[in-house]
Amino acid sequence: MEYIILISGFLLVLIGLWGILSQKNLIKIILGFTVFNTGINIVMVTVGYVKGKTAPILDVISPEEALTSIVDPVPQALVLTAIVIGLGVTALMLVYALKLYQDKKTLDINNFKDLKW
Amino acid sequence: MVAPIYIIAVALGLAFLLGLLKSSSTNLGSLLMLAGLAFIAFVSGQWLYEFLINGRATEMIFTAGFKPPFSINLRMGMQEALLTTMINAAGLLSGLYLIDTLKKTGINSMTVLLVFVMSLNVIVMTRDIFNLFVFLEISSIATAGLVLLSSKGNAFQAGMKYLIATGIISGLFLIGIIFSYLYAGSLNIDELNAAHIMDIKGGAIAIFIIYVSVILELKPFPANGWGIDVYTAAKPGFSALISSGTATAGLYVAYKLLPLGGETWLPYFTIIGAITFIGSNLMGTRQQNPNRLLGYSSISQVGLLLMILGLSNQLGDNTLFIAFSILISHYAAKAGLFWLSGIVKSQNLEGWAVLRKQPFMLFLFGTFIFALIGFPPFPSFFGKWQLIMELATQENYLWMTLILTGSFIEAIYLFKWLGFAIKLDVPSNIVMKFEWNKYLPVYLMALTLYVIGFYVSPMVEGGAFINYIPLLFVLALFALDFLPVFVKNTISIAGIIYYMVDLFSQLENDLMRQIFAVIFLGGAVLTLMAGYNKKGTRAGFYPMALMMFAGLTGIIEANSMLEFFFSWEIMTAGSYFLIIRGKRSMPHGYSYMLFSIGGAYALLFGFALAYASGLDTTIAALGHITQLTTLAYTLLAVGFMTKTASLGLHIWLPGAHGEAESDVSPMVSAILLKAGVFGLMLLFLYMGTGTEGGDKLLYVLGWVGALTTLVGNLGAVFQEDAKRLLAYSSIGQLGYILFAVSIMTQLGWLAGFTYTINHFMFKAILFLVIGGIVVKLGTHNMYEMGGMIKKMPFSFIAVLISIIVIGGIPPLSGFAGKWLFYHAIIQKGWYFQGAVIFFAGIIAFLYLFKLIHSVFLGQLKDNHRNMKEISPWILIPSYLLIIGIMIFSAFPQKILQPIGEMLSVYFPESLHWEGTKAYTSLGYWDGTTIMIVVMTAFILLLGWLVLMSKKIKKVEQFNIVYAAERPFRPETTHVSYNIYAGYKKAVGFLVTPVVEIFWDSMSALLFDFAGWLRRIYSGNMQNYALHVVLFIVVFYLIALGGL
Repeated sequence: MEYIILISGFLLVLIGLWGILSQKNLIKIILGFTVFNTGINIVMVTVGYVKGKTAPILDVISPEEALTSIVDPVPQALVLTAIVIGLGVTALMLVYALKLYQDKKTLDINNFKDLKW
Repeated sequence: MVAPIYIIAVALGLAFLLGLLKSSSTNLGSLLMLAGLAFIAFVSGQWLYEFLINGRATEMIFTAGFKPPFSINLRMGMQEALLTTMINAAGLLSGLYLIDTLKKTGINSMTVLLVFVMSLNVIVMTRDIFNLFVFLEISSIATAGLVLLSSKGNAFQAGMKYLIATGIISGLFLIGIIFSYLYAGSLNIDELNAAHIMDIKGGAIAIFIIYVSVILELKPFPANGWGIDVYTAAKPGFSALISSGTATAGLYVAYKLLPLGGETWLPYFTIIGAITFIGSNLMGTRQQNPNRLLGYSSISQVGLLLMILGLSNQLGDNTLFIAFSILISHYAAKAGLFWLSGIVKSQNLEGWAVLRKQPFMLFLFGTFIFALIGFPPFPSFFGKWQLIMELATQENYLWMTLILTGSFIEAIYLFKWLGFAIKLDVPSNIVMKFEWNKYLPVYLMALTLYVIGFYVSPMVEGGAFINYIPLLFVLALFALDFLPVFVKNTISIAGIIYYMVDLFSQLENDLMRQIFAVIFLGGAVLTLMAGYNKKGTRAGFYPMALMMFAGLTGIIEANSMLEFFFSWEIMTAGSYFLIIRGKRSMPHGYSYMLFSIGGAYALLFGFALAYASGLDTTIAALGHITQLTTLAYTLLAVGFMTKTASLGLHIWLPGAHGEAESDVSPMVSAILLKAGVFGLMLLFLYMGTGTEGGDKLLYVLGWVGALTTLVGNLGAVFQEDAKRLLAYSSIGQLGYILFAVSIMTQLGWLAGFTYTINHFMFKAILFLVIGGIVVKLGTHNMYEMGGMIKKMPFSFIAVLISIIVIGGIPPLSGFAGKWLFYHAIIQKGWYFQGAVIFFAGIIAFLYLFKLIHSVFLGQLKDNHRNMKEISPWILIPSYLLIIGIMIFSAFPQKILQPIGEMLSVYFPESLHWEGTKAYTSLGYWDGTTIMIVVMTAFILLLGWLVLMSKKIKKVEQFNIVYAAERPFRPETTHVSYNIYAGYKKAVGFLVTPVVEIFWDSMSALLFDFAGWLRRIYSGNMQNYALHVVLFIVVFYLIALGGL
């Protein structure tokens, strides 16, 4: 089961990358990023998962049981942080998309080649 | 002591506080921001002080009440303190610099700047890899935010490109982190490093992912279009901070993570670094926009530093010194240049000529450029020196070659730019306004370069002995630059005479160095005397001239190779500025510099091989080179030959000497060229004869010398420009010297010394006098002159005596040279080369005749009828030199006998003296007797002519009939334009500028290649994202895919 999730996580990463590299519309590219990030988050959670164990939330289980019965909490904490950062980056990208649209009245990525060589 | 955690706490606290301020209170906001930046700079600076002065131990800072791996920890050690101090200083200065922009864009931008600088601090200090990721992201987001300080459309595009690329990279980094956590069970960098993940199955992939993302953050070539655009589009005030701060932090991340993969991964850092260093510099050669150029240059320097990290296992204990000295040069110079760019506000390199309105800023610009290339006395000079030395001991010639090649390419565009600033017309549409908050950061960065350079120099072996006194004198002259010429000239001459006296007391038993000391410093005094002729302040001339002479003195004084190279580069820098002062000298100064740098790198390579052969740092190491011996000697010879302008390396000389100012030409021709001769003589003495490779090299150099003479003399014959004629004549004369010393016998060297001394004297006279005439008549063209014998009799006599010396006609000392020369050739048996030299000697008469005929004889031109003699300040040094020539001619044994005795230590005796007679196996010669005989005949004839002169009838200029016509224009009776047309038809093919064509096509090739290569920077952000992905794939295939 966790392999399926791990593989689908990687698949999402690849789909996201494909979106970033192939779509011409900036908004779609940014969506590609969110897919890419989601895939990474899934990969991270899966890596920290231990078969047959429960969530590292001490309300549900007693601290004594915890040592033997919870999954590693670190990756989950990391994912939470990563999601927050991802949110920030996505928001900033959207602001940039807005600025670019205001500047050139287009979202087509091929129109933003003022700087080259 | 303020704990480092306050860097984060105060910055974050202030950032939140700024968010609470009213958006209109920008003044208070900017004050708070600056206070915050100043505070964190103070904290890190105070730690640096503790580590440096009190030798404090490294401090670990734990958070949240736990120890790692259960909490994040920071480290504050020597390295962290140093780097955070650098980052915070740049942050504070950038904040100051950008203050007006920040006030305009509002308080939020101040918050972002504060957070940005803080994030760089944490990136340096943190020992937790996930924490590292978080702050890398914060710095990326802040960067993308600060790009918007520029409200131009292209800044939006650049920021978006940056976000897309760093988005992919950071996603990748996350995957790397989670996998290394999986394998090592910790996020603590020290524990990760100790976990040997490499040995675990699949661990290599985790390491690969982490490394590739760390490297990608450093913008490796060619996957760096997104980074370049940010440099180009952001406000230069902020680009300065990216270039100095982000690069510093990013490199330290790579350094921290080096042990993770261990030695097997180091070569990838080296390779990627090398590709980046060379590739980015190639791109730089085609740039017109100063910010983009600086972007490429920044990335190239990061590439070099990445290379150094990759080579750390070979550089050993020196890694950190080398990396630091190069990093700090890059840091200060790049920040300074970007800030300067914000002051100049020109979108093209040509606009930088505006700096000439503020000479001090031009001086700082030059400082930054020279620091980037690695000239002394800047830290990068010492770093590069140590780097090359260490690599040579490891026999790592490939990396040495690549590093020097990359540096050379960097010099190509940086010196083009500097030349533009020095020489192009000052643009009227650009105004540089003095704003202290923008100028102060630039001043401070330049000061940093000098101070750190001074402090790192003793850390290099032999560096403690570098003599800074002449440089301090140069500095004093800079400070006195506002004084009139008369005062500065007197100070300079007095300083040189004082130093010469002092120097001679050190050189008691070293005749060779004494001779060159007289040429360099005596020559300096004589040529400077001509400067009394100039009026005004002659801004910038004296510091540069004295810098050249300081360098020349330094190469005589040097005991170690480092001191020699240090002085050599000082001399190059000084002479470059002297040469480029000429009116049309921009291209010539540029090509002089490129040949000099190429030559200097050849020398550096040679010195490194000498050092590696026995870990001996003294010049004597040249005597026992065991590593790649022949190559080492060849490189050293080539390095010195760029200064003697030997065939193939001579094309810079005619323009550089011909277009230089009238008293600079004798300095660079009569004096500077002898530095190359001195180098060659030193080299040959240490090399000796009898080694197989060395003898072959000498044979080749003999031919090079002979052909140089031919080419130089032929070139002179067909010149119409008087100073270029003399310049080509120098090439020819230096060819004789190279040939003579390559013979490697006592006679050959005696001839070499004689030619060296003679050339010093007569070329100084000729360039002084002809230079004076050229200025007076306002033309370089000899066919526009004529009949000057009556107007300028003293000049005529000076030139006449000089050409008698060049021609090798008895009784003057030129004959002594020729006599020794031909005896040496016959003894050595180099008949074919001798024939070439002999042929070239005859050709010399043609140009000598042309010179005296066209300028002094023939008909006086109408517009010159009121000409007077040239300034006595030019004639006095010339006549002092003529006295020198007369003494040398009449009493050659007084000088040549001691030289012969000195040489007999190295070579078998092939000449001996009996009184005034010199004997070789082939015959004898007596300079004194010849002088007496010729002088007696001359005086008798002169007396007779004077007696007869009563009967002379004076004729008017046009009292002639020519082809049944009475000419009325002087031009029609004075043939001097293209007078050797016939010869040109016959042997003109020999002066086809083959060498120029070769170098031109080489540079065209380089520029075309760079132009083709840079098409990958298409401007499309998706392409740039693809580059990043492809970089990952290719790196993977090579590192792990077995490719």
